[in-house]
Amino acid sequence: MLDAAPAKKLVEVDNLKMHFPIQGGILRRQIGAVKAVDGVTFDIFEGETLGLVGESGCGKSTCGRAILRLYELTDGVVKIDGSNIADASTEELRRLRPAMQMVFQDPQASLNPRMTVAAIVGEPLMEHSTMSKADRLARVYELMDAVGLNRDFANRYPHEFSGGQRQRIGIARALALNPKFIVCDEPIAALDVSIQAQVVNLLEDLQEKLGLTYLFISHDLSMVRHIADRVAVMYLGKIVELAPRDALYSGPLHPYTEALLSAVPEPDPSLEAKVERIILQGDVPSPANPPKGCNFSTRCPKVMDICHEIEPEFDEVQPWRFTACHLYKETTNQTASQKAASTEAHKSAQLGEPK
Amino acid sequence: MPDGATPVLDVHNLKTVFRTRGGEVHAVNSVSFDLRPGELLGVVGESGSGKSVTMMSLIGLLPSPPAEVREGTVSFDGQDLLQTDPETLRNIRGGDIGFIFQDPMTSLNPVFTVGFQIMEPLKEHLGLRKAAARKRAAELLELVGIPDATRRLKDYPHQFSGGMRQRVMIAIALACDPKVLIADEPTTALDVTIQAQILELVKELRQKLGMAIVWITHDLGVIAGIADRVLVMYGGQVVEHAPVKGLFGNPQHPYTRMLLETVPSVRGERASRLQVIQGQPPILGAAPEACPFRDRCPQRFERCDRENPLRREIGQRHDVACFWDFNAGAPLNA
Ligand SMILES: Nc1ncnc2c1ncn2[C@@H]1O[C@H](COP(=O)(O)OP(=O)(O)OP(=O)(O)O)[C@@H](O)[C@H]1O
Ligand SMILES: Nc1ncnc2c1ncn2[C@@H]1O[C@H](COP(=O)(O)OP(=O)(O)OP(=O)(O)O)[C@@H](O)[C@H]1O
Ligand SMILES: [Mg+2]
Ligand SMILES: [Mg+2]
Repeated sequence: MLDAAPAKKLVEVDNLKMHFPIQGGILRRQIGAVKAVDGVTFDIFEGETLGLVGESGCGKSTCGRAILRLYELTDGVVKIDGSNIADASTEELRRLRPAMQMVFQDPQASLNPRMTVAAIVGEPLMEHSTMSKADRLARVYELMDAVGLNRDFANRYPHEFSGGQRQRIGIARALALNPKFIVCDEPIAALDVSIQAQVVNLLEDLQEKLGLTYLFISHDLSMVRHIADRVAVMYLGKIVELAPRDALYSGPLHPYTEALLSAVPEPDPSLEAKVERIILQGDVPSPANPPKGCNFSTRCPKVMDICHEIEPEFDEVQPWRFTACHLYKETTNQTASQKAASTEAHKSAQLGEPK
Repeated sequence: MPDGATPVLDVHNLKTVFRTRGGEVHAVNSVSFDLRPGELLGVVGESGSGKSVTMMSLIGLLPSPPAEVREGTVSFDGQDLLQTDPETLRNIRGGDIGFIFQDPMTSLNPVFTVGFQIMEPLKEHLGLRKAAARKRAAELLELVGIPDATRRLKDYPHQFSGGMRQRVMIAIALACDPKVLIADEPTTALDVTIQAQILELVKELRQKLGMAIVWITHDLGVIAGIADRVLVMYGGQVVEHAPVKGLFGNPQHPYTRMLLETVPSVRGERASRLQVIQGQPPILGAAPEACPFRDRCPQRFERCDRENPLRREIGQRHDVACFWDFNAGAPLNA
């Protein structure tokens, strides 16, 4: 570690907030806000893949879009390769765009139904490069090969493809300009396992060859385990845990991470029998009206009094391991033995759970 | 499920072809399956193998042209859905047969509120008045785990996250307590905890209402957890059909075997590289005269190039379309 050059931070996100207004009344005045992303801080190193996981609706897509300035940010700083995207001008953004790309969650909504695949994949090349028509077509074919789409389909329209094939069109387009940084928003959710593997392998190859950096948003925890170097876990607009992959999967710190990992369905029957599931009870809060104290306090199996009062800070509690949870705070910590006892109690409570 | 029960849905020999500028696409080729009350049939298979087109064909949801359902029968409730007039079919859809589409953005209308879209079928099929429909709509949203449900009825689809839109679709499909639910990758955008909640809900509906379900998914973990039987599709055909235990314990089609090997796990060893099934899927330009999987198949021998294997029975409700006999480690006796 000592002599290794410190890796460069390609993406630096500091206290990012993205709130959507809620309008009401006859005058459609703002009466509140959906705090979709509410103060997240993290870095992504050059050549790294950061996995972003968490419950549906917790703000992952909004976070990914905000980082690429597809929204006007409510607050915070986002630096990509040193430039602050948060207040870049339109002209500056246009210059920066080719280096940062996004694969969208809804392939259908992001592909123009009146353009052929060749035109869709070639569009960024038209806009940002001076390639000849022949070179462009060659590049389009190359990209189609790369994502496993048959070249013969180049002149088809999006509706003539299956869901998984459409997702790959979006991936091919994102790769067209050799970007440095790609936000992949559920890039493989619609694909079958073999093609998922093919796309993930492709993303890994490109990373190795071109030093690409990814923010990989997914609820597929086994794929994230495969592709990510570090993983950030989001809950209701905030990051609750950020850790290197192996550490997170072998020993999650935050109770939400623990519950999330325990819930993954297991195709291997020999492992399935051993899985201990933590089923979360309690109300799922709304980002328009988050609870007092810790956002997870309404459902946390290890909740303490303080959790309903004070919001836990997001701190580095072990080297490289960040979490926002009172269980790991010096001042509020129970003694180690008490903690162990409560964990035991929690385990036996789980065993008593139905199913 | 009792083996003798009469199926609620019986699909026989379905063939669907698209006519495009580039020629025909034989997307669905002689697909047959049945479904009994309370049963859950899982459907897995390669991307592009015809899962969605099969299900859309049987309830008349494909635009024609370019789609053409060339052959087959679909018995539901004593009638053949392929021969039913469009008006009756519209009534069945959203009423007795609920459908969850793969792509929520295409089936939710962006200019209407989510509340309006859930209340619509309640008014149309169940004849509920506005206030009652609104109350039921909020209940349905809550049932699929969307917080703050009453307020959210007034929101438009773009104000929901991907997974929330998917849950709205589930709520709409469940609105009228259908006899049959066809769910096309209904949980791809859901995280594991909410998925578990939806699967629990589905289990309950099956027990309470005897709802029968077709569940298309790429997630074999989900299949292992909820399916009674499984159809495996490849290249527009059913290549294997088995009870869920038989499929995982004793897969008999080379594609099924490869598919099961490619699944990564969160719990076992982490592989340094993911497995893929090498090669390209077939181009479905004409009805196949040979096995559609042959180009990628390690068991291939000369018969596979001459003939398209029919599904043959190999066990209790277990059939496979392949000329190779894994138990003998040799080709079948022709
Ligand atoms: N309108 C159309 N015109 C031409 N071909 C089509 C059309 N719609 C679908 N197809 C083709 O039919 C085949 C089957 O598509 P289908 O959508 O059923 O696949 P699927 O098994 O659902 O795949 P996925 O898992 O990716 O959703 C695909 O090869 C697709 O390209
Ligand atoms: N344009 C918008 N207007 C109002 N609210 C919005 C808007 N976009 C997103 N939201 C809300 O912000 C929250 C976070 O949404 P987001 O799409 O980021 O979730 P997500 O984590 O990507 O979820 P999923 O896994 O379901 O895709 C949700 O409550 C959503 O309803
Ligand atoms: Mg999302
Ligand atoms: Mg499909």
